[in-house]
Formats: sequence, C-alpha cells, structure tokens
Amino acid sequence: MATRAERLALPAGVAATLGVLLVVFYVPVGSVFAQAVLAAGRPTLGPLLAVLSDPFYTGVAHHLVVDPLGVPAGVVDWITAGFPSIRLGLFGFTAYQAALSTVASVLLGLPGAYVLARYEFRGRRLLRSLTIVPFVLPAIMVAVGFVAMFGRTGLLNDLLALVGLGPVSVLYSLEAIVLAHAFYNAPLVTRLVTTAWESVDRRQVESARAMGASPLQAFRDVVVPTLRPALLTAALLTFVFTFLSFPIVLKLGGLELATVEVWVYDRVQALDLTTAAALATLETGLSLGLTYLYLRYEARQRGASGAGQSLARKPLTVGWRTLTSPTRVTVLAYGLVVTVVFVGPLASLLIESVTTPDGTLTTAYYEFLLAQQASEAVGTARPLPAIVNSLVFGAGTLVLAVPMGVVVALVATRGGRGSRLAEALLSAPLAVSGIVVGLGLLQTAVFGTVVFGYRLTAAGPVAVVFAHAAAAYPFVTRNVAPALGGLDPRFREAARALGASRLRALLDVELPLVAAAVLAGAAFAFAISVGEFDSTVLLAEGVDSYTMPVALDRYVGNRSLGPSLGPATAMGTVLLAITGLSFVAIDRLGGRWAP
Amino acid sequence: MSGVRLRDVTVSFDGVTALDDVSLTVEEGEFFTLVGPSGCGKTTTLRAIAGFEQPDAGTVEIRGEVADGPPEERNVGVVFQDYALFPHMSVRENVAYGLRYRDPPGDASPAARVEDLLDLVDMAEMGDREPAALSGGQRQRVALARALAPGPDVLLLDEPLSALDAQLRERLRVVIREIQRDLGITTVYVTHDQTEALAISDRVAVVNGGRVEQVATPETVYREPATRFVAEFVGDNNVLDGTVVSTDPPRVDVGDGPGTATAGNGETVLPVAAVPAEGRAVTASIRPEAFRLGDESAATLSATVSTTEFMGDSYRLHCDWRGHTLLVTAAAARAPTGEVTLGFDPAAVTVLEAQ
Repeated sequence: MATRAERLALPAGVAATLGVLLVVFYVPVGSVFAQAVLAAGRPTLGPLLAVLSDPFYTGVAHHLVVDPLGVPAGVVDWITAGFPSIRLGLFGFTAYQAALSTVASVLLGLPGAYVLARYEFRGRRLLRSLTIVPFVLPAIMVAVGFVAMFGRTGLLNDLLALVGLGPVSVLYSLEAIVLAHAFYNAPLVTRLVTTAWESVDRRQVESARAMGASPLQAFRDVVVPTLRPALLTAALLTFVFTFLSFPIVLKLGGLELATVEVWVYDRVQALDLTTAAALATLETGLSLGLTYLYLRYEARQRGASGAGQSLARKPLTVGWRTLTSPTRVTVLAYGLVVTVVFVGPLASLLIESVTTPDGTLTTAYYEFLLAQQASEAVGTARPLPAIVNSLVFGAGTLVLAVPMGVVVALVATRGGRGSRLAEALLSAPLAVSGIVVGLGLLQTAVFGTVVFGYRLTAAGPVAVVFAHAAAAYPFVTRNVAPALGGLDPRFREAARALGASRLRALLDVELPLVAAAVLAGAAFAFAISVGEFDSTVLLAEGVDSYTMPVALDRYVGNRSLGPSLGPATAMGTVLLAITGLSFVAIDRLGGRWAP
Repeated sequence: MSGVRLRDVTVSFDGVTALDDVSLTVEEGEFFTLVGPSGCGKTTTLRAIAGFEQPDAGTVEIRGEVADGPPEERNVGVVFQDYALFPHMSVRENVAYGLRYRDPPGDASPAARVEDLLDLVDMAEMGDREPAALSGGQRQRVALARALAPGPDVLLLDEPLSALDAQLRERLRVVIREIQRDLGITTVYVTHDQTEALAISDRVAVVNGGRVEQVATPETVYREPATRFVAEFVGDNNVLDGTVVSTDPPRVDVGDGPGTATAGNGETVLPVAAVPAEGRAVTASIRPEAFRLGDESAATLSATVSTTEFMGDSYRLHCDWRGHTLLVTAAAARAPTGEVTLGFDPAAVTVLEAQ
C-alpha cells in the first residue's frame, strides 16, 4: 500500500520545481524588469523613455517618442531628400544583423536539407546527427575558432602568406558576425527542413505525378507546402537567437558593432544598472513577442504527421559520371563551402593550439593550461581552476536540472491545464537572454534578497549553477517529454494495478523505460552548462567561479599573452573535446532537440 | 457477498458521457463478460472497477466494500489487450512485480509463488526470457500470471485475446476459462467479440452507448434478447420492423422492405407466439438456423436464394423475400438455389416492442 509520503511525492516535486524556477529564473528576471519600471517603489516610465528617446539606442525611431507629431513631416522630408541612409541605433542594428544572419543561415542551411533529404551517401546519417552540434558548442569557443581562422595570425592568413598573398582582415566586421551566426543557425535550418522533407509521403508526390503534374509541379504542389512551415519556424527561431546573440558579437564585433545584448553587458560592467535593466526589459519584450509568434505558428503546424513512406533518396556519387551531372557538381561545390565554413574554424582552433605563430609544433599552450602559475600571469583567470569549476558547475547543474526537467516533462505529458503551464515554463527561457538572467541573479541572489527580515545571499558559484540550471532544464524536458509521451500508459496502469503507487510506478517502470532520454537530456544539460557564457561572465567573481568560457574570453582579449591565440585555442580545444563527448553521448542515446 | 458491484455509476470525459448510470452485480467466483461494439463503455466500466477512472456519480464495491481509492489500493489484477509486460524486466521479474507491494496469498514465499504461477500458465521454462523474445500467446499467458500472482480479489481482462490470430484466440480462451474455474476467481472480461463472450462466460452484459442492454446467461442473451440491439448484436439474426395486426392469433405485419412496416395485403404477415396490444410497433427477429428448408409443417415463407456461402458444416443463404434479405442456415448436401420454402416455428420468432 502506498504510504502517505509517496502519494505526496509528486505534488511536492512539482512544488519544489516551481520554487526553484522562481528562485533561479522568474524572481531574478522579474527584478530586472522591476528595476526598469520602478523607482523607490513607485511605477515610472523614466528609464524606458530615456532609452527610447535616445537616438543612440533607437536611431531614427527616437522621434516617435521625442516628437511624435513631427514624424509625418520627417518621413516626407526623408522621401523628398531621396531616401538618405538613416541612423538605425542600437536596436535597429541588432535587428538588422539578426535579419542578415537569418538570411545567411537560410541560404547556407536550405541546400543542406535538400542534400540530406534527397541524396544517399556515406556519412549521411552522421551529418544529419551533426546538425544538432551547434546546440552543444559553446558560442565563445566558436568565436575563438573564427578568430583562429580569420584573425591576423589565423590559419587563413597563414595559408595566404604561403602563396604570397594577404594578409586580409575579416574580423571585427558585420560579415564576420553574420558568418558566425550562420555557422550556428544554418544547421538548425537544415535540421528542421530535413525533418519536414522526410515527412513528405512519397505516395502524395506519386499521386500528383499520376494525375499529370511534372516533377517541378509536384514539388511545388506537394513538397513546398510541407517545407514552408518548417522553414518559417527555423527562420523565426534563428532571428530570435541571433537577436539575443552575445559572445559572438562581443568577440567578433566588439563595442563598435555592439548589439543590445552586448550593450547591456557593457552597462552592467559600468554599474549603470538602471539603463541595463531598461535595455534588458525592452529587448526581452521584443524577443518574448517573437517567441509568442513562433509558438502560435508552431502550434498551428502540429498534427502534420509523417505517416507513410519518405521520398526515395538518389545516390550522391555515381562514379565518374558524377562530374557530368550539374546538380551533383553543385552539391559537391556546396559541400566544399560547408567544409570551409564548418570545419574551418574548428580545425583552425585545433591547429592553432599546437603551433607557434612561426609555424612550429608546440605543446606549450597545453602545459600552460596545467601549470599552476601565479595569477598575475593572465589576469585573474587561471586555467586549471577554470576547467575544474566548469566540470563542478556542470555536475551541479545536473543535480538541479535533471530532476526539474523530468518533473516538468511529467506535467507536460499529463495533458490539460498542466501541460499548457509546462509549455509556458519551457518557452520563457528561450526568449530571455543569458545576460538578463545573469543580471537578475546578480541583483537577487548575489547582492541578496531580504525575506522576512533576513538577507539571503548566494555565493557566486551557487548563482552560476542557478543560471546554468535555468538554461539547461528545458533541454532535459525536451528529451524526456516525448519519450514519456510515447510510453504506453498501460505500463503505468499495469504497475498501479499490481500495487505500485504513482511514484513507485514512475520509479520502477516509466523512468527505466525512458532512461536513455533522461541521459541524453543530462548530456545536453551538461554541455549547456560547460559552454554557458552569457550569464556566467556576469556572475563569475574571482577564481572561485571562473569557468572555461570565461577564461577563454579573458585570454582572447589579453594582449599580455602576445599576439598568439595559443592559450585561448588550447582551452577552446578542451571545451571542444568536452562538448564533443557530450554530443557523442546525446547521439548514442537518441537525444533530440525540437524547440 | 458479491464479487463486484456497480451502483448507478456514471463516468464522463470532457462532458461526453461514457457510462450512463450503470448498475451491475458480479457474483463471487463468476466469469462475467462485458460485450459491445467499440466505444460502448465496456472498457470504461472495467477501468472504473480497477480505479483508473473515477466515477462522476455512483459507487464501485469489491467484495462488499466500497472501492474509491487509487488502483494500488484495490486488490485487482488487470490484463491488457497489448499485454503491457514491462520490457525492461524478465518474465520472472514481471510476474514477481506485484509481490513487491502485496504479500502472496497463503503461506507461499514470493519466489515460490512466482514459480507456481509460471507453472500454472505453462511458462516455467521461460522465466529468464525477455518479453520481447516471446510470442504473442506466451506474452498473454505471462500477463495473466503477473495479474494473478498477488492473489487479487477480482481479475479484470480487457480484450486480452484480440491481438492474437483466430486459432490461438480460441485455444487461449479455453486456457483462461480453465484457470479461472480452478482458482474460482471473480472475473470481469471485456470483449467486442460476441462469439467469445458467449463461449467463455457464466453471464454476459451487453453494453451499448454507455448503458447495459441486458444481463443474462449466454443462452438467454442469444435466445431471448431483451432489446432490438441485443438481437442484432449477438449472433446472426433477421430483425424486421413491423406492427401487430392481430392478437388472437398473434400476427405481425413486417411490410414490404426494410423500414416501411406498412400493413399490407397479408403477404408480409408473420405468425408469432405472443404479441403486445394490436397496432403496436414491434421488431420481430428470427435466427438463421430457425428456418427449415422445405419444411411445411408449421408456418412458411416463399423466398428466392440470391447468394450462397459455403460454411463447411452448412450453407449460409441470402434470400430475397418481399424486399427483405433473410439470412438462412441450411444443412444441405448441395447448395440450394432458386425458389425455396422456408419453414419456421412461430414460437421461434422473438417479438420486442419498439422503443
């Protein structure tokens, strides 16, 4: 017979999860919003209006706030002047680079979906799995990889120098940011569109053909309507992600090409917390709106099931005749571009980590990672503690995020009001940037919160784990919920009828059957934690809470280390190895990520 | 003391009533079957007994005690259609699972109880296998052993055989019936297959649209259906709408063609055994095997054979008669064709007042 404690265990788990979410996410984020709209406990629009009316932030749109009545005349003047270029401001530039990045990601990713869905070749399955990799690759590491490839002493210029060309400067430009964002998000486009393409029932295409449609007409009438929602979904997500992108813009753009996210970080560093909060509030409002649109759109697309047989794949290579087929040659050329864009930065990272600037092999950078040198040598970021911290925080994140993720998955699969609540809980972290969470935790947890007269504070490391758990638990849920939902409810009922309480049925039967999904979610959570930069860089204080990504940031920016990227690339390679292992674990365990 | 009793049980899902004020009594040790078309509420009834569904109104009693707790607090054994064996446990671990939470009946140790049950279902050699390595029939027997291991008060079987092929189904239902009789366990069995229901049960409840149409022995349900639905659902039958045209002698006019039921010129008047008052709308039903080909000793019809089906031990004839198609079972050596005379005993015609 079930004990009382067992019967209360699940509601208690739900309550505990909500409590933790409040502490690690909602209260911190709420405190940021509060700072933007409250002054001494009274509502105020001051900070928000200050941002909106400053052309530095809103560009030409600041007239809407400052002088709304003059706007029509201004527009007329602009038209009669022959459309001179207008000032975008910080928000305008952020949206502009996000739009460019979205276009680039679609251009780079869409052909990939075509190749993966329509051609058969050795390594196709592996490539398909690899499209999940960007979700586990730390952005700061990718930024370092881009510096290693395109920087002044990078692989590209080294190669150009061999043939007497160069040097070229690609870094610190909008192009570099857009390319790095495409590196990140094109695989997402590929992944979502490939899945949609594979869900096209070949019998539908064959029916269209049998009724007289040409291959192109059948493609337009049957395949395109299936691909369009997936493509729009991917584009919308890419826009949200690149709108909120932080380390890539910080490292490849710098403050000259700052986005809202980078500027929030800058304001926090300058202790101008009110402006930071106002910026964060406006930014989050925009991304929440976009995420809401995305969710509404996605909900309408659901139910387009992929029953039936997928379209047959053609062999990609057909011996020497491959070169006589224009489409196949185009595909191979595309493959070359993909190799340069995706393999290039990671390979550069590896190569730069074992070569000196003059091209000789060295292990000095890895020795540097292991050496317990004086902290003065590299500022305050010593390498070994950073590696240890990252692993410890990763473990701490698992302790929090795995139970939370499983509990939310349970609520989500139960259906009804609970599942809508769970959906809302899961979507919020998508729309709130790591910087905002970090800023909120700084204000609530690190600086302390007064509860019933006691000031509760959390040490830096604890706040870091909080931030990581908030970012990581949705990945656990996204993996576990489909597995739980796919389980025959009869398993649970059979256990209950045999005398198991709800909790025992979960522990004895359901969780063992979805163990692979829980582990895949845990591997995701670990990778997210190890790679997390945005909130960690705000919360890390001193040697106690530096992580690998934060150390990486310091090394890239530290001129005292000389022109060599060595220490940064060596650290980046360690990060790559850890996240690579996580990917292997996720892939082996059948992990998935559908936003 | 009854084994299971439902009193005025109503269950609804999102405002749709699945069970409408159902009352049933299953006697201790009885093999009781709920039969009906899909969606009729038979599985919901079973799930209400097991505790998987909470009634909106009414009570479930097991062995005279009100059962309103969760499933683990009701001493029931459940066998599902798709077995629901735990795939991550061996056959033995599956059967032993219920003994983690309940003591085996009698003085047997849990381990001995498991072996006894495996023996009972003839799976003693298979204890270490994984469920995935078993055939459908073997899985079903393990599921039965698992449900019985803790010595439940009631055994609930939800379409336990419908995933199996026809031959195996007939063999296993005998196995289930024999085990049930040996253990004397109160059993509620759910099936959509009326043949299975008639073959296996002490009593049958025919369920339709969330209501119980008739509860009786298989023989009574077959021979004396209480409602038009039971007459049509249980076994092959010829069900004709008509009107009482005379009470002495009792006569029903079934009209020309289905649904017309017009009092005609006497050509479509059937002699029957008993009728309600004159002018009442009724349905008259007569089983295919109640017709005797060429027998003119009692009442007769003249019909034309349109299609014959050879059934092995007999022929099944589809006969045209005044716009109706009558099913007739004929034990003849050769397929009858053309005009036939169908003799029948008026007492074999069941007359029900139209609802």
